[in-house]
Amino acid sequence: MAGQKLYPRATVKKIVKAHSNCNVSKNADVMMFLDYMLFMQTLMREATIEAKQGGERGITARSVKKVTADSLAKFRG
Amino acid sequence: MARENQHPDATPSRRASSAEPFASSNRRSVFRTPASQGRGLPRPQGLSASGRKVAPPAATPHARAAFRTIDSRRAAIFTPHRARRKSLREVRDSPRDFLLSLGRVLARNTEVITTSSSSSPGEADRTVASDGPGNDTTLGSINVDEDDEDDEELPKRPRLSLPIDEEDEDDSDDLQPHRSVLIDDDNNFTMQSIEMPRRAYSEQPMNRFSMGSVRMSDYFDTHDMLHSEDVGIDSGFFPPTAALDETNIAMGLEELPSPERLDSDANRPDPGRESDFRIDIPVGDVNESTFLMAPQVVDSPDGPPGRLPVATAEVVHDDYAPLLDQRSDDYDDEDLFGGVPALEDEPLEAQNEQLHDETEREPMTARGPQDRRLTKKTIKVSKYGIEYPSLPPAVVKRLAQNFARANGAKGKITPDAMKAIMQASDWFFEQLGEDLQAYAKHAGRKTIDESDVLTLMKRQVTIYQWVSRYCYTWLTLSRQRQINPNTTPFALAQRHLPRELLQELRMPPPVVPKKRRKTNGGTEDEDVT
Repeated sequence: MAGQKLYPRATVKKIVKAHSNCNVSKNADVMMFLDYMLFMQTLMREATIEAKQGGERGITARSVKKVTADSLAKFRG
Repeated sequence: MARENQHPDATPSRRASSAEPFASSNRRSVFRTPASQGRGLPRPQGLSASGRKVAPPAATPHARAAFRTIDSRRAAIFTPHRARRKSLREVRDSPRDFLLSLGRVLARNTEVITTSSSSSPGEADRTVASDGPGNDTTLGSINVDEDDEDDEELPKRPRLSLPIDEEDEDDSDDLQPHRSVLIDDDNNFTMQSIEMPRRAYSEQPMNRFSMGSVRMSDYFDTHDMLHSEDVGIDSGFFPPTAALDETNIAMGLEELPSPERLDSDANRPDPGRESDFRIDIPVGDVNESTFLMAPQVVDSPDGPPGRLPVATAEVVHDDYAPLLDQRSDDYDDEDLFGGVPALEDEPLEAQNEQLHDETEREPMTARGPQDRRLTKKTIKVSKYGIEYPSLPPAVVKRLAQNFARANGAKGKITPDAMKAIMQASDWFFEQLGEDLQAYAKHAGRKTIDESDVLTLMKRQVTIYQWVSRYCYTWLTLSRQRQINPNTTPFALAQRHLPRELLQELRMPPPVVPKKRRKTNGGTEDEDVT
């Protein structure tokens, strides 16, 4: 994480701009990405738990898919 | 002598009077005072049971009455109920008691008759046992004496009123199997229209997310399938119109109840009455159902068969749903038809329709985007017709692996899981964009601000650092918001973001700075289970 960019800022801006049909102010994307990181954290945590409960080795697509809806619901405004 | 002879079941209440603390005798005097006063006997001076001074005889009758009521109230507060009851009972002592006690001696085996009015049998036993001499009719006690076999029937007396709580449970239990049985009976297309309310019962935010969510459906239907196809065909002109259409298809139905729906609601009583006339015909030719509402139930398969093979699923749904609603309303009066239940059903219908759409399109969705993704780089278009990239997979993967490792997951993330994660993050950004747009528009801006994101994060609920950290029970599971006094945005940003990005952020100073978490290794520590 140290050397390289954490994320392409322009991409995040573009994505959100496309979805919201709004402009994105200069530094709002940082917060957005912070939110995204929190989401990923939640998602991976839930997926890990789910995988452990399912007796899987590592995180699989099944566990991720299973927890996606819940995680998204948590991050709904 | 009556007291010694009593049945052991009933004794405790009587015995207690001898073992009663002395206060009760005082209290009894309090209870009796009104009668003695009425007879004109001088009232005993001194302290009442509550220790307050009794009203002087010189007081006006009103004042005395007031004092008396206050005293009796106090006594009532401090008296256990049983003692109160007993004190009243002794007044009513009568020869009937002797008969009762005699009966208890002669017929020991008889069981106490439970009155039908009480809700719980145990309570009923107790009240009858203790209250018997005072409140029971002599008829009941005589019955106990005479016929031992008959009193088995007595508790089964038809109850005029059912306890409320039980009724409620029964009600819900009744309705559910009723529907499911219905489905078993109707093996054909009707099944869908009947099944819908069941889905609707369980309609919760979570459920909606799982399949019928607005956003996911947007994504499934419009983005992956419609749009990616639209892009190939006519990418030029679809932005304004297509956006409108989609919203109407996918999510608009809930929010904008169309006039036709209202009309159909208003019209509902009519088909219901027609079906009343047709009662006999459909019962004959279509499958018999055992319900009382059978005529109207069967009515729904009766009408459509001609239309059905031709009609699309949506038409079928439109035809059946009102009928079904009527059926459920049939329990009530007819005035309810057009009224409240119809309004309640409306969003459910919309929801169901939406589900329906998805199920229709899903086979196409299944193969459509997958192929595309394999063949070329994804071109995704938002519902506003703006193309957007997705996050570079490397970034997502790095994040995912970091967090997975922090959570103690072993092994690598498989490509399939990676695909799922990418999908999830796409959905996330879609949701994020819509929410932020809502906030920005609400603030009257055309630009999404940091403040919007902050507001959003404040609203987001996450089960944050749950059981492992606080060892809470499931109830207190600490559904915390994303941002709370413990996790200021500043702390979160400091934990997650590199410094150069932090500098970009103009954060409001944290309200509770001393509460801030340690920034280093905070994630690692808290999340290892």
